[in-house]
Order: sequence, then C-alpha cells, then structure tokens
Amino acid sequence: MQLKNVIESPCGLRFMLDGLDLQSGFARRWLLDSEMMTSEQEITACYDVLRHFVDFVRSIEPSFLNTLLFRLQGVKDIRTTIKNLRQSSTLDDIELFEMKHLAILSTEVIKLLKEHNLDQVVEIPSLNEVITILDPDGMKIASFYIYDSYCEQLKDLRVQMRKNPDQQEELLLEAAEIEEGVRKDLTRQLHSHVDDIESALVALAKVDIDVAKARQIVEQGLCFPEISGDGSSSFTAMFHPQVKDALSRAGKQFQPVNISYAYRPTLITGANMGGKTVVLKTLTLCQYLFQFGFGIPASAACIAIKDEIMFCIGDEQSIEKGLSSFAAEMKNIDAVIKASRENRRLLALIDEPARTTNPTEGTALVQALLKVLSEKRMSLVMTTHYDIEPGSAYCLRVKGFDNGLMNYSLVEVEDGEVPHEALNIAQSLGIDPEWIDLARHELEITE
Amino acid sequence: MTITILQRTIALRVTFIDDILNYDSLSIVGLQKNTGKTECLKYVLARLPLDRKRVAVTSIGIDGETTDQVTRTQKPEIVLREGMYFGTSEAHYRQRRLVSELIDVSDESTSLGRVVTALALTQGKILLSGPSSTSGLQRWMRDTRRHSIDLAIVDGALSRLSLASPAVSQSMILATGAAYSINMSHLIQHTAFIVDLINIGKTSECNMALLGPIDKGIWWIDTDGELHEMEAVTSLSQQVQFHGMERCKTIYVAGALVDSFLEKVRKNKSLKNVELVVRDFTKIFVTPQQLRLFEKNGGNIKVLQKSKLIAVTVNPTSPSGYVLDSDALCDKLSQAINLPVYDLLKN
Repeated sequence: MQLKNVIESPCGLRFMLDGLDLQSGFARRWLLDSEMMTSEQEITACYDVLRHFVDFVRSIEPSFLNTLLFRLQGVKDIRTTIKNLRQSSTLDDIELFEMKHLAILSTEVIKLLKEHNLDQVVEIPSLNEVITILDPDGMKIASFYIYDSYCEQLKDLRVQMRKNPDQQEELLLEAAEIEEGVRKDLTRQLHSHVDDIESALVALAKVDIDVAKARQIVEQGLCFPEISGDGSSSFTAMFHPQVKDALSRAGKQFQPVNISYAYRPTLITGANMGGKTVVLKTLTLCQYLFQFGFGIPASAACIAIKDEIMFCIGDEQSIEKGLSSFAAEMKNIDAVIKASRENRRLLALIDEPARTTNPTEGTALVQALLKVLSEKRMSLVMTTHYDIEPGSAYCLRVKGFDNGLMNYSLVEVEDGEVPHEALNIAQSLGIDPEWIDLARHELEITE
Repeated sequence: MTITILQRTIALRVTFIDDILNYDSLSIVGLQKNTGKTECLKYVLARLPLDRKRVAVTSIGIDGETTDQVTRTQKPEIVLREGMYFGTSEAHYRQRRLVSELIDVSDESTSLGRVVTALALTQGKILLSGPSSTSGLQRWMRDTRRHSIDLAIVDGALSRLSLASPAVSQSMILATGAAYSINMSHLIQHTAFIVDLINIGKTSECNMALLGPIDKGIWWIDTDGELHEMEAVTSLSQQVQFHGMERCKTIYVAGALVDSFLEKVRKNKSLKNVELVVRDFTKIFVTPQQLRLFEKNGGNIKVLQKSKLIAVTVNPTSPSGYVLDSDALCDKLSQAINLPVYDLLKN
C-alpha cells in the first residue's frame, strides 16, 4: 500500500500532505510512492531519525534552515539518467551536468548536516570522486561542459575555432568526435559510482521529507507515538488538524478527545453533531500518519501496527459508479467482513452503518454486524444511532448537551443506549418551531 | 541625404542600444511573422557591450523548426557571441553549433524537453526555444538573475499561439512591417493601435497587490477596497451580469478582454468611470472602435504588467516580395506613435 493509494481517503490525509513544505518535486513523488510501514523495526527507525530532525528544527537559526531548504530545492529527479548510467549508455552533456549538480549539492547538504551532527543520523554517501571526475579544473561550480583539460587535442581545436571563426563548422565536427570519446570515458568512470549516486539522490529526498515532517510537528503541535505491543491503541487530547484549522478560522476551538480501543469492538453513540464522524476520521488519519511516519495530532498516543486499515463512510463517489448509497455501503462493509477472515492485523472504522435504510432492518443489520465482527480478532470502531445490544462491545458516548453547550468528550457507558437529543439540537439550530413542536407531540403520542 | 542617413545611423546606435542597457530585461516582439523580429534580435545581440553586461537570451512560443511551418520561409538560427548566456530546450541544446557550458537545467518542460541555460564559450549558432508559459518565463528570468545576469532578452511572440506573455520584461521593442499589410496607412494604423495597447498604464500599487496573484475569473473592487468575485462567468460569456455592483470602482479580467464584455461594461450605467484592469496588453482582444467608445464614455483600461516600449522597427518587405517605401514608412509611423522607428536592414 503506497501513500498515493490512500491520499484521497476521506480521513483528511491530503490536508496533512499538502501542509508539508517539501522543497523538491522529487521528494514529493518519493513520499507518495513510499510503502506503508508494517514492521515495528521500520517504524521505530523512522521516528528515531525524525526525533533528531525535530530537535534540529527547534534549535537552528531561521537563516540556517533557509540555506538548507534552498539547497534541497535544487534536487532534481534524475532517475532516468541514473538508469542510463546503470545500463552504461553514454551520458550526454545534460546528463553529465545532472550528475555533477547532484554530487555538488549532496556534498553541500552533508556539510550543512554535519554542523548539527545529523550526518550521523542520515547516511548520504560521499560523491567526492564523482565531483573529481566531472570537475577536472577543481572549480567546484555546478556547471559542465567537456572541459579543455580532458584532452589536449580538444583544447587546440577550440583555440583554432576562436582564431578562425570561418572554419568553425569543420572544427566543431572534428571536436565533436573527440568530445564523444571523452563522454564515453566519463560514463565508464562514473559507472562504478552509480549505487552511491542513487543512494545520495534518495537520501536528499528523505532529508527534505524529514525536515518538512519535523516542521509540521513543531508548527501543528503533533506528538511522537509509542508503539503498542498488545494490539491496543490509545490517544490523549486527539484532534483533527483540518477540522481544527477550519474551526479556528471561524473563531472557534476544537475540543480534543481522549479515546482508546483494543480487540474488543468499540461502539460510539451520541447525539447528532456530536463529532462521532470526526472521531472516526481522526482515528483513521492517525493510523495512516503513524504507519507513514508522520507526527500524530494528539498530546500523547500509543498505537498498534495494522496490516490493513479500512474506513467505511457514506461515500459520495459510489453514486458516480451507479450504486445507490446503500448498495455501496453494503459492499464496503462486506469487504471488511471478508478481510476479517484473513489472518491479518485489521483495523476497521465504520461510520453509522445501514443509516440509509428503514430503522427496523437497519438495527438488525448493525446488531448482526457487531456480532459477526466481535468474534474476529480485529479492531473495530463503529458509530451508530440505532439502539442495539452491545454484547461484549466497549461503549462510548459523546457527552452531548451539557448546560446548553455541546460537550464533545467521550464517556464510557454501560450499554449502547442511544441518546434522544435530536429535537433539542434541531431547536438549538433555530429550525422552524411548527415542525419541531409537532414532532415533540408525535413522540408523546407514541410513548 | 547622406547626412540624414548618417545621422539616423548614429542616433540608432546611441539611443537604441543604450536605452536597452537601462533595463534588466527586454522582449522583442513581432506584430506578425516576418516583420523582422529575428533581424532585430540579431541586430541587438551583435551590438551589446558584453564587456560591461552579462546578457542572456531565450525565446518563447512554439519555435523550433529551421523552416517556418506556416510561410515556408527560412527561419534563421541565432548567432551568439562568446560570453553570452542562452536558454533553449534540451533538443536544441543537443543540436548547438558552438562550444558552451551548461549552468542550469530547469524543471520547465516544453515539447522539446526541459529548458536549459548555458554560457557560449565560442561564438556560434543555436536554435532558441525557451519557456512556453508566462510563469515559466518569469522563473527563467528570475533564475538568470541568480547567475548574475544583467540583461535577459526574450525573443517574443504576439500573433503566434504562445501562452507566454512577453509583457513580463521591463522593456520592449516592437517589430512591424509589410508582412502585416502592404497598405501603408492600414499598417501604420494597426501598429499605432498596438503601440497604444503596449503603452497602457499600470494600475495602482494597491490594486496590483490585490489582483496580482489572481489568474482566473472576473473580479471587482468596491469603493472600500474590498475584492469580490463575479460568479461563474468568463469575459467571453454572454451571460455577464453586473447585479449589486453599484459601488464598483475597478473590474479585473484575468483572462482575455473581448469586445462584447467591454460593450456590456460601457452600456451599464452604474459602471460609468470604472477602471478595467487586465494582466497585460496581450490579453486585450478588442477592436479600436470599442476601445475608443469605452474611453469616451469615461472608462479606462489599466494593466498589472507593463513593458516600456523603447523603439519600433520596420521590415518594409512582405513575404510575397512587395516592398514599401522605407523612409516614408519610418517617418509616418514615427509621427503617428511619437517614438523612433528604424529599418534595421537599411541601416
């Protein structure tokens, strides 16, 4: 699973990626192509490096950071050129320029990182020999041509060219042959460094990504997660960065949430507008951020590694595919059930299943779903408005209206009984009283 | 007569080239193909004092063929002098006929590969094909400054299907000629109109800051300086509505400005004396009549980007071989536009 496959997940991953201040297009592509990490070793190593970069970002002068960012902007995607070199096809001047440019750039970045001992943390192979090959005059400038000093004969021809411009065409032809020979020779010399060149390119992209992730952690107040060993996950003061951002633009505050879940299914009930969907989105987002090595939007988090993350939410795209919202939802949940039968670490987050059908059958479907999934060794977090028997499920409820204000925090409750606050909420929204009063009256009759 | 020509030649050398040196960028644009734009570029390149100025040159538009695809006339390669910088596509760099040192490979991609920048180490010929969008051209010009280049020259395009606007350069030379029309008064009239468009003044600094970053849609600014977007319309749309715009002071058209839109603004009573802003003169596609009516009615047009027009050059020969009287053309055009006009081939 690559990051680019899940970037459009409705959990809001794109917002986090767009917020990363990456310096080169290559780093962005490299990040999007990166695989989701599923081994503890890999995730630990990734966060260890990132911790150093957070310390680095916190301690350096802005001017130093700008110098580093400016260098990283120069990183170009020269994978095609590297491939050509690997296949020993003679590189042309533009490709040789790209090699030299990368070599000088990486040397400069190594120098900058060394000042803060980060060269111990990230390994960028030294390309000094590449520079020596492509910079015969030792100018240390990232420019390139087939230098006079590569060949005495070439030098003579160019002197003649300047003296006799009218013979230039023939002299250029003669020189072209010699130049091609030099290129062949340079390609041959560079060939033994091709692995180092490739590693350096990737390492520079990683530095770019790590600096951007570290800056995001500092700027958005994200935390480093602990890796959970027992399959349970817990979050303290978790928030959704995109929703928080939108609220703060409107002059409002996001109320952080504490939540934990394990293998026992977790059932979240609560009033409308209580933020249940946001909780699911945030849990999904956090899981992805964790397994792609980003900072986590919470004050503390302990997260279990999963092989598969499935987020089921009313999906508007399914209408385009010609499925009704009910059909699309059924198929999504069906995929969860199928996945739960495989022996993989699965996290499923299901938002109000069967909400679009009649409440009698809907309740039955949700009740049965809970039973089916309870028996599997998986993590399940589900929200619902239906009154269902929780069984072994761990029940959480959004606190809801509290002294006339919405309290978004989650409280543990004994049963899954759903609150009846829809009419109060509608009233607080200023909905037409004729409608709401009549609805209240209807309720009284049925009760 | 000899004295007149001599005076003109001297005047040409002094004013023209020295004027260019006062700016850090120059574009040379042709009113039409075969109006002598390339001749003008060659003329300028041959005379710039490279000992005092670092010069870089590039081209915009869909250039690239050695033979012009439209008119089948020979499209000359540019001769560069030793010490000049140039921006061209990868494909054309590989075909260069000079010794040069690569100093930059950009991310700007064209149909002929990325745009590269190099320094000519000997004199020689090169085909120029640079950035193909306005923002790409701006980036190239900014990058040249990073390489301490004093003057960036752009071989521009007007009538060609170019997405890059030459108006991002500080100064400009316009090449006109019999290729546009062999009727001299018609040619002078049209050239004068284009000159008027090039000379349209800049809007206020405040408007520039507000409108500069906007690249699409139609927007308006009220008397309090608040910016509003006109919803879901382009200036080409017939359904332009000006509801609730009584307090409108400025209208900004990010795309093309056409007759029908100009007419609608003119006929709307609440928009009398409004300032109409466009990005630069290449976005104006209106007839002289509509423009005159608009201005007569109290409206005025301003731009966000403007180049200082330094001179106009003429090529009195049409591609079909018809030749206009060069002296008469230069004199009459010069009077009409109040700027020096040169026939470079003659001089």
